[in-house]
Amino acid sequence: MSNFLVRRLVSSIPVLFGILLVTFVLNRSIPGDPCRAVLGERATAAICDAYMERYGLNEPIPVQFVYYLRNVLQGDLGTSLRFGRTVTELLAERLPVTIELAICALFVAVIAGIPLGILSAYRRNSAVDVSTMLFANVGVSMPVFWLGLMLAYFFGVILKDTVFALPPSGRLTAGANPTPFFIAWGVIDDPRQASNLLLFLSRFNILNAILTLNVNLFLDAARHLLLPAVAVGTIPLAIVARMTRSSLLDALGQDYTRTARAKGLRELAVVVRHAVRNSLLPVVTIIGLSFGGLVSGAVLTETIFGFSGIGRTLVDGITARDYTLVQGVTLVTAVTFVVINLIVDILYGYLDPRIRLS
Amino acid sequence: MFQRKLLLVFTLLTVLAMGMALPVAGQDMATSVECGADGYVGNLQSIEVLDDMTVKFTLCNPDPAFGSKAAFNAFPIQSSEYLESTGGGGDLVRSPIGTGPYRLQNWDLGNEMVLTRFDDYWGEPAREETVILRWNSEAAARLVELQAGNIDGMAGVGTGDFEVVEADPNLTLIPGAITNVFYLGLNNTKPPLDNVMVRQAIAHALDRQRIVDNFYPEGSVVATQFMPPVLFGYTDEVEPLEFNVELANQMLDEAGFPRGDNGVRFELPLNYRDVVRVYLPTPGIVGADIQAQLAEVGIQLNIEQMESGAFLDASDAGELSVYLLGWGMDYPDATNFLDFHFGGGASDQFGTKFDEIIGPLNVGAQSGDVDVRYQAYIEANTALRDLVPMVPVAHGTSGDAWNARVDGAYAAAVGTTKFALMEDTEDDNIIYMQNAEPISLYCADETDGETFRACGQISESLLDYEPETGEVVPALATSWEVNDDATEWTFTLREGVMFHDGTTLDAGDVYNSYMAWWDASSPYHVGRDGNFTYFSAFFGGFLNAPATE
Repeated sequence: MSNFLVRRLVSSIPVLFGILLVTFVLNRSIPGDPCRAVLGERATAAICDAYMERYGLNEPIPVQFVYYLRNVLQGDLGTSLRFGRTVTELLAERLPVTIELAICALFVAVIAGIPLGILSAYRRNSAVDVSTMLFANVGVSMPVFWLGLMLAYFFGVILKDTVFALPPSGRLTAGANPTPFFIAWGVIDDPRQASNLLLFLSRFNILNAILTLNVNLFLDAARHLLLPAVAVGTIPLAIVARMTRSSLLDALGQDYTRTARAKGLRELAVVVRHAVRNSLLPVVTIIGLSFGGLVSGAVLTETIFGFSGIGRTLVDGITARDYTLVQGVTLVTAVTFVVINLIVDILYGYLDPRIRLS
Repeated sequence: MFQRKLLLVFTLLTVLAMGMALPVAGQDMATSVECGADGYVGNLQSIEVLDDMTVKFTLCNPDPAFGSKAAFNAFPIQSSEYLESTGGGGDLVRSPIGTGPYRLQNWDLGNEMVLTRFDDYWGEPAREETVILRWNSEAAARLVELQAGNIDGMAGVGTGDFEVVEADPNLTLIPGAITNVFYLGLNNTKPPLDNVMVRQAIAHALDRQRIVDNFYPEGSVVATQFMPPVLFGYTDEVEPLEFNVELANQMLDEAGFPRGDNGVRFELPLNYRDVVRVYLPTPGIVGADIQAQLAEVGIQLNIEQMESGAFLDASDAGELSVYLLGWGMDYPDATNFLDFHFGGGASDQFGTKFDEIIGPLNVGAQSGDVDVRYQAYIEANTALRDLVPMVPVAHGTSGDAWNARVDGAYAAAVGTTKFALMEDTEDDNIIYMQNAEPISLYCADETDGETFRACGQISESLLDYEPETGEVVPALATSWEVNDDATEWTFTLREGVMFHDGTTLDAGDVYNSYMAWWDASSPYHVGRDGNFTYFSAFFGGFLNAPATE
């Protein structure tokens, strides 16, 4: 297993280098420089000259890349041109927002998608199957932007003042001001002295609520997560449902299923213990890929629901020609993909021992 | 060079003598520089503290708008003690201590900012105890939040949502002041635009009313001059060139540009950037309409969209022929509009500069006499109309939306809206959702409106703008005197003004705040990233600015 892990990690280095190089070159190929994008249209030529010099942007691009690579290898992702803060600090602050949303969306997708897929396969060609697959097709083709706005309007405005009302945007109710767990535990008095790791962990509202045993915070965070999780989770849900259905249909036609039935097992046991378990392998792949997609593709959802995650940050970075921020977000997203793929590969081994042996 | 070195040595010796401490009122506080010497291009000649409550600014060249500039959000007066303890950056940027009606309680980065009433505020105390600022970049999402009742007010109603807000009895639409201009730039070095009759014909051929009616939100108006009507420098006496297609055709014929077989007289590129601004809410559509209108008189415009930064650079360099651009006010004076675009120091965006425009603009910019200035602007606006370096098209408006139960809701004519003047009649806070998160709370080193809105509740400048009219009014200074040629400005400070940390305002705070911005070699010239863009833009440059390659 350790050999496998090392091999996979080493093989990901050229991938990450390639991503860094391509992002770096593409960033600088866009017309316009960051000075006016960041400092506004009132920035004079003298201000812009000083600005470009301060951030080393007047150096030849290959020289800039070498400097950047050297800093990345030392764990320094640079300073954001727009925010004037380190990219690491911004990522520690904003990555949890996206990861929390992605986990919740995936939870929605798996919890609803797999049962729907199983039901659809088990009742193949029935009204249930047709309606489930119709729902899945609509879900796949639904624009997230539109769905998000409709959900926000329906649950925020139409159902306003009812028990079904949900907050249309934001991560918490205005003024909630949650206490980070490290403050509640008395580890640190001033949040500004917290390390990036503590800051990173405390930004998961659900986790922070659990660690501080704050039920109100937990419920508030969960209520605020529900609509964006549904909006961003609809497409993976539909894909998971379709994949589960087709995979299970395949498994139900296999010899071992027929053997299980011949042994006299109850139909439920045949489906759940034999067919479903074997049909989950491709579904796990899809779930893994979906999670990576959710992390990198939460741009629209974060925009609509006012989440300051890395999707939104990436857009801000691109708009402001914030090279270091865009490169940092891209690198972290790429690393997330690599790690998730690695986890999926490891899970394969447990779900199908033949893969681990080979 | 000798004087610059002398000043550096003097500054260093002073700093060393005081152990890097900032001077306090009572100590000798005066800094001056020789105008134009050793590459100094700024307009600020000296700052001196005359007594504990009096500060004098001397300028190299007259600037009747200095008071307007001093009222701007980008020049918030800081406590000397806090400036010193933060080193001009760090906590000063994230946790400022101002003199405003609200102080920062908590900034949950990425989520919200909470401000609480400052009970020792020198003026009328804030009506609400708490202000919560939130943000969402989508106007539609902000409106949903407002309709859901989760917020009390929102910035920037979407162009298509004005009617929705007006139709909702629970909401109030507050139109913003019209302090911008959208224009069609015409570069007089690009044939055939070097012919003034062609430029005049283009002005006659444009139906500006049609553009405003079709593509601007309610409340926007046709631009008859470059200056918006509400600002000093707009002159009723100057009539615009009328919309007259027949006359435009006739002028183009006379100018020697007959229609070809395909009906086209000549072709020109029409450049624009796809960036939404209040002065131009739908750039692509407006560009297409202008293209269609000028096609009626035989001018074929070929639309070319450009990246924003490249577009601005190209227009500044005088590389574009016909283009869509605009300007939003920084401070309420003609110099902010006219001198910036058409004065002697303006860029080459309209081609060769006109002496007929520069002359009166210089008169207007160098006199403290309102009547003299007004006459000069009549002359300048007349020349602008006749020489047509651009065609002013529209003054756009934006709108804030508020819950109807909020009492005192308004949109500032100039500067930032002050939440201290409002009250939510049903609870004890104002929750306002704006377009983006403030970048920092040290506005001396910022340039965006979202940041200024937050800073404007916490910190104050020497002067302020009257909320409804935009007139310059006292703030931290109770009065100011200016000499006849507007080169010497003396401010008398308000007694008993307290900072949020309990320290009291004096002339030393003003001196040290301005020195931190002005002197690029100061150890307190730090900020968020040390650009101090507005100071440089308004006052021409920094003292001891490092040479760039």
